[in-house]
Amino acid sequence: MPADDFCTDIANKLNTGILIIDSQYNIVLWNRYLEVHANKKPENVIGQNIFEIFPELPEKWFKRKIESVFQLKTQSFCSWEQRHHLFELPHTRPMTTDSHFMAQNCSFLPLEIKDNNEHVCILIEDVTDVCHYQSKLKKTLEELAQANRIDGLTQVFNRKHWEECLEKEFSRARRYKHGLALIMFDLDHFKLLNDTYGHLGGDIVLIETAKVISKLLRLGDLFGRYGGEEFAIILPNTDMVGALDVAERIRVAISKNIINFQETEIKVTASVGVAVITEADTRYEDLISHTDLALYDAKASGRNIVCVAKDVTAA
Amino acid sequence: MSDLNLNEDQQDCLQEIINVAMGQASDQLARYLNTFVYLKVPSIEQVSTISLLNMLNSNENSAAVVSQGFFGYEGIRGEALLMYKPKDSDRLADLLGYEPDELSVEEQIIDLSSILTTTFLNVFAKQIDNQMSYSAPRLLAGSQSAISDHLAQQSFNWDLALKVKITYQVTDYSFNCDMVLFIPESAIINIKTVIDRILEEF
Repeated sequence: MPADDFCTDIANKLNTGILIIDSQYNIVLWNRYLEVHANKKPENVIGQNIFEIFPELPEKWFKRKIESVFQLKTQSFCSWEQRHHLFELPHTRPMTTDSHFMAQNCSFLPLEIKDNNEHVCILIEDVTDVCHYQSKLKKTLEELAQANRIDGLTQVFNRKHWEECLEKEFSRARRYKHGLALIMFDLDHFKLLNDTYGHLGGDIVLIETAKVISKLLRLGDLFGRYGGEEFAIILPNTDMVGALDVAERIRVAISKNIINFQETEIKVTASVGVAVITEADTRYEDLISHTDLALYDAKASGRNIVCVAKDVTAA
Repeated sequence: MSDLNLNEDQQDCLQEIINVAMGQASDQLARYLNTFVYLKVPSIEQVSTISLLNMLNSNENSAAVVSQGFFGYEGIRGEALLMYKPKDSDRLADLLGYEPDELSVEEQIIDLSSILTTTFLNVFAKQIDNQMSYSAPRLLAGSQSAISDHLAQQSFNWDLALKVKITYQVTDYSFNCDMVLFIPESAIINIKTVIDRILEEF
């Protein structure tokens, strides 16, 4: 019949591996694509057990998978996203991708032929290309998401992401009645520093200060650049005693930090404001403004000092 | 729009076909999974794009959503969404008869989704003298990403869909999930033709 001839011809010209097995996992059909890619002639494969031809197959998993096709008489799938490949086959982009084996999408189809012998057809598609670009895209998206959170100069969180973190921590602290402390600090006389050493000098000071403070913090603390020479730190689960301790260590660390810039040593100090969440705070902005006021007090009291937000409820 | 609505007879007929399919699917699944699978009486309704978005967004805390397209003769086609709650994915490998270290949680969820969807739709198709084919199941949302990430930017090219929701319960594994079948606007008329033919023969 010409229709059957066409089918056979197409099966051998498709860029898809076609493999048929019987209920004993013996190979019944093997198209040209597989002959070429597995480099095995049909006469050496037909009648052989699939696990002998492909010893890399996870036998137990594979049998259960095929069982579902036989028993439920429904097709089943296996995507490269969950399993990069089932069959160790070469692919068509060995030079321009880093994939060792062909990434595959496999389909398992139940075949019901009149003679009542049950068979499963396995279709193997080469998706190395898709896999390659998807992986690249995923990596790029991760980098983008990261870049979106980070301040380019100091490599700490940027203002936007830092505020989003505070919003979350604030509502969490309110919901679970946890402590939450905020520290904001501002480098003293930064404008003068910029005027003396130029903006490059100022930038180095910001970078080096951020580095020193990052090392002081605990894992859960969230450190961001609030703007200009002002930085802010969220301290989850922290009370005033703990926050003051961190704030004082920050002040000391900055004042002791000597920054080398073009053969000169730059020394800076910082004014620090501290506040903790109170019952009266309903929005995270309240906490920021209390901390900001404390920072203002520190500036007004002669700088290089830590000030605590006045208890609004006691006032 | 009224020609997209199912009249009472059509609705009853569809409900009956689905009920029969559910019974057979539940039987097949019980045999394969070696445990009793209970399918809860479905709800059939017309939904708009907006209400679909709302439903998916209110399921924001689902552990996973898996999508699988289906298509058969006479223009019967649609998309099945399987929705899982976080705690329900704990013992899936066990239920499926795999060793937990043989496959990732994502693969377990996709595998089970495919089994539930295709088993049901195969018997459903048989009821209406049809035969279904399926696209590969795809995890839309999992622990890594929310469903809204997949939908936020989309403008749908349909306004209305026929929605059939079936809840699967596997009491031995205290597991349940929802299967929601969406028949898009363009295919509703086709399913109505099929239902009318069945009603006539009846």
